[in-house]
Amino acid sequence: MKRLLSSAGALAGLIGLLVVLNGGAPTWAEDGVTDKEVIIGAGMDLTGAVANWGVNIKAGMEAVFDRVNDAGGVHGRKIKLIAYDHVYQPPKAVTNAKRLVERDKVFVMMGHLGTPTTKAIKEYLEEKQVPNIFPATLASMWTTSGKWHVGDLASYADQTWLIIDYLVNERKIKKIASFYQDDEYGLDGHLAGKARLKQYELAYVAEVDYKRADIDFSSQAAKLKESGAEAVIVQAVYREPPRLAEQCHAIGYYPQFIGPGPIVVNKTIELGGKHVEGLIGVEVYPLPTDPGPFLDLYRADMKKYFPGLPPDTTNLYGYQKAALFVEALQRTGRNLTRDSLLKSIESIKDWDPGWGLKYSYGGDNRRGMSRVGRLVMVKNGKWTKMSQWIELKEGGRR
Amino acid sequence: MVEILTSQVVSGLATGCVYALIALGFVLIFKATDVVNFAQGEFVMASGFISYTLLIRFELPYWLVFLATIALSGIMGVALERVVVRPIMTAPIFSIVIATIGASIVMRSSAGILYGYDVLPLPTIFSKDPIHWGVLNFTLMDAGVIGSSLVIMVVLYLFFKLTKTGTAMRATAQSQTAARLMGVSVGRIFSLTWAISAGIGGVAGVLIAPIIYLDPNLGFIGVKAFAGAILGGFGSIPGAIVGGMLLGILENLSGYFFNAGIKQVSTYILLILVLVVRPGGLFGAAPIRRV
Repeated sequence: MKRLLSSAGALAGLIGLLVVLNGGAPTWAEDGVTDKEVIIGAGMDLTGAVANWGVNIKAGMEAVFDRVNDAGGVHGRKIKLIAYDHVYQPPKAVTNAKRLVERDKVFVMMGHLGTPTTKAIKEYLEEKQVPNIFPATLASMWTTSGKWHVGDLASYADQTWLIIDYLVNERKIKKIASFYQDDEYGLDGHLAGKARLKQYELAYVAEVDYKRADIDFSSQAAKLKESGAEAVIVQAVYREPPRLAEQCHAIGYYPQFIGPGPIVVNKTIELGGKHVEGLIGVEVYPLPTDPGPFLDLYRADMKKYFPGLPPDTTNLYGYQKAALFVEALQRTGRNLTRDSLLKSIESIKDWDPGWGLKYSYGGDNRRGMSRVGRLVMVKNGKWTKMSQWIELKEGGRR
Repeated sequence: MVEILTSQVVSGLATGCVYALIALGFVLIFKATDVVNFAQGEFVMASGFISYTLLIRFELPYWLVFLATIALSGIMGVALERVVVRPIMTAPIFSIVIATIGASIVMRSSAGILYGYDVLPLPTIFSKDPIHWGVLNFTLMDAGVIGSSLVIMVVLYLFFKLTKTGTAMRATAQSQTAARLMGVSVGRIFSLTWAISAGIGGVAGVLIAPIIYLDPNLGFIGVKAFAGAILGGFGSIPGAIVGGMLLGILENLSGYFFNAGIKQVSTYILLILVLVVRPGGLFGAAPIRRV
């Protein structure tokens, strides 16, 4: 015991000495922030089941950072993004997060991809007090989990309410089924849809799940057909809707497929061809081909920094996150700490980057541009607008 | 109900046929050379990318691509045997197994570096539109996969049964020493076995990639096929075929009667059950342990 105490004392002395010695040099209070640089981290899927999203979100974010860095950075600091591949697997996401926080000493986690993967590091980030800024997941948990988590766009729950309202009110469809990824991602929209249906005194006629990275859905297709559902909500990403549609069509079953933002990707059309004609998705930010100065800048930046990647909803998603992050850094000024960054995000009110939609934060609001969405449909092999921007209800899961 | 069940069985059988082809590749190499080649799944993946390149980048006709892919895949098999396996043939079996796992990682990463990790659609000549035939509900794709697989299996059977080379291969599988004494060039037979196994893997790749999309992780399908081979009795050719087919059907039915979670583990539950009752697998001889 005595030895333990004395070694603890020695350690404390050593730390004290280090602090004193370090006092002369210009240091910043936070990890990842130096005189000339701010280092941010992200876990991405670069080689796994949702790699199309991962590779493009990373590129979209870097396009903004490259432009800003070429112009001298923000308040004299260049932005450096360190991204590791978690292959859309929660255990790998945890290892990567520890590496980013403890070894690379990142200032914040920014644009971390995937609901199950980000959920896996949620408590770790809270414990280490590292903000989780604009994670690349729109599960509703990021808007309601307190100080350390900041979302950006309308959640899957909100989007699913829009889907149910559209199906029930406009299409007069009452037989609705849910096909969902069996994890926190799929459940967010699935449960919200259930709650919304209940308000219409309806219920799903079938609830079928699939596992991340599954690619054979013939049994799900059979169950959906048997339920007689006229519409199937696909709480999935881009590989599943084309495959499910194909397998439903193979047994002579042609329901209306409809799903939240993650399916609205050109890859869905590339994989599905004629089987995804008529597929409906929810958009929570403009299409990459829409007009507007911000989208012009996006197209120019992507062409300059990532000429190999065509404009797509995936890289635009990363791009808008990075633009919002740069705006927050601008507002924070030279004295950059985790607290000051979070405060300046809260100061963002009605901020429009130049595409006609506004971000607002403040108080408990961790949603940014939460309330806006619209429907898009695959027509002649292209995502096409179906409606104008709609003010979304804040969808609950109960 | 009956219609849906039959459609489940048919589409399961199509996937099962592909498992069976890959399992066949495992078993052929194992029988001839006592090596378990864990890069077998990677032949499937690689041939998917080969046919993608020939079809999309070189715009060759489909039948030519089909044949060229099988040939190129076969050459890849010989190369793997010559470069990776042959030099360490005298090493303990575990070293060889690890070497094939290493080779599979190298192949997967190379595909990732060359083509990226995004999923790609591979065109096919078989239509995915539904066909009704009595209570049968299927697509031309299913029928094409099942038909092509059966043709390959019959051709292989005839090759082993009727040709001199086939007989030499069977002899080598029985006893390398005896075959050598009879004037069979065992080294040449090894190369040929790897070429045939990889070629069958190539057929599986061309058939399955349009169904489950093409990406560098496609080779993991080999794990399921391996389970199919064990189910049938590792080392038995009919076992590999039946085991693979059963697995495909079982997966579909368990997904239909239960949920996605059960579907995922159903393969392994069945595998354990079969091995408890028949340790040698369905068609394998029970292992004899001499005390």
